[in-house]
Amino acid sequence: MASEKGTLYIKGSRDVEVTKPDVTLGDLLSMECTDRAVLAKIRSLKLLKFKKSGRQRCVVSILKIIGRIHEVCPSLDVQNMGEQDIIVTYEDQKTPALAWHIAKTAFVAAVTFFGAAFSIMAFNNDVDVTKLFGQIYEFVTGESTNSITVLEVTYSVGVTAGILIFFNHFGKKRFTVDPTPMEIQMRLYENDIQTTLIENSDRKGEEIDVGGVGAADISGDRRT
Amino acid sequence: MWAEWVQQIFLGIVGLSAGVAVAGGLFAFIVELGVIADFADRTHTGEKILFYEDCTALGGILGNLIYVFGIGVPAGNAGLGIFGIFAGIFTGCWAMALAEILNVFPVFMRRARIVRYMTVLVVSLAVGKGLGACLFFFQGW
Repeated sequence: MASEKGTLYIKGSRDVEVTKPDVTLGDLLSMECTDRAVLAKIRSLKLLKFKKSGRQRCVVSILKIIGRIHEVCPSLDVQNMGEQDIIVTYEDQKTPALAWHIAKTAFVAAVTFFGAAFSIMAFNNDVDVTKLFGQIYEFVTGESTNSITVLEVTYSVGVTAGILIFFNHFGKKRFTVDPTPMEIQMRLYENDIQTTLIENSDRKGEEIDVGGVGAADISGDRRT
Repeated sequence: MWAEWVQQIFLGIVGLSAGVAVAGGLFAFIVELGVIADFADRTHTGEKILFYEDCTALGGILGNLIYVFGIGVPAGNAGLGIFGIFAGIFTGCWAMALAEILNVFPVFMRRARIVRYMTVLVVSLAVGKGLGACLFFFQGW
């Protein structure tokens, strides 16, 4: 068994979703090794077992994964090129009801649409743009006016242009190749959630690490 | 004649710049507070984020047109109710997102050494906001 030589490179992302209750190393990591046979063996190694039903989540330390590999191939050199803690989420994959999904999307669409409309009107009302336009018009032309002037028209064009430039797309059409601000926000939010999950489980001592799991494995240093 | 044209063009430039600046500022404020990203995440519809952006953009554009030109929308009381509930949800989330981004809660929790009963705090916050809004409208402030 101890004949494996060479280096195994592993890389995992921070957030993995699995649909089977038995989690193997291949589900969590991508890996590379010169010895193909070792690669196949390690890919199918079982790491976790979830209960069949419901949604469950745990955080696995990369040390636990390396430990598991070393149980089978003690002389293998393992190099981690990816994350140090991996969030594993198990979800019993029921086909999500399409109608429910559409209903949720419609709800968020309504909230954002009416919310944005309300916000711009609230802003216009707050600073009283109608009055301000009248004042600017009188300042420039010397005549007071109560009707719609060029200011109202260009302001509306400006607001429209500003919104589209800011969001960087309309419909499927993108103006530049950059991600839109909302996509960036979405990623930032996900990152915050992942960091919180990992740190929470570490603080509560729930992380599956080499120190806590398995009585024989007392050499592992508990992190504080 | 000449001077009048120059004035109109000048006003046009002022209006255009004002519009772009206002749109940039207001919508940066909405997006950077992460309200909409929050909605998408909570409802697990993250792949629809571009659609939500379109809705936000469209809402802003139409809302502005309706306000500035005083366009009448014959939607009746039902339409008003729909507008009210969704605009209310949005504003409520927005206000809370603002408090969240400014780290109001963590600071107070730490100062007052509150570690439990967070749910009570959140509920009382929501009820307080609702009562405040009711008081404001019914008193006609």
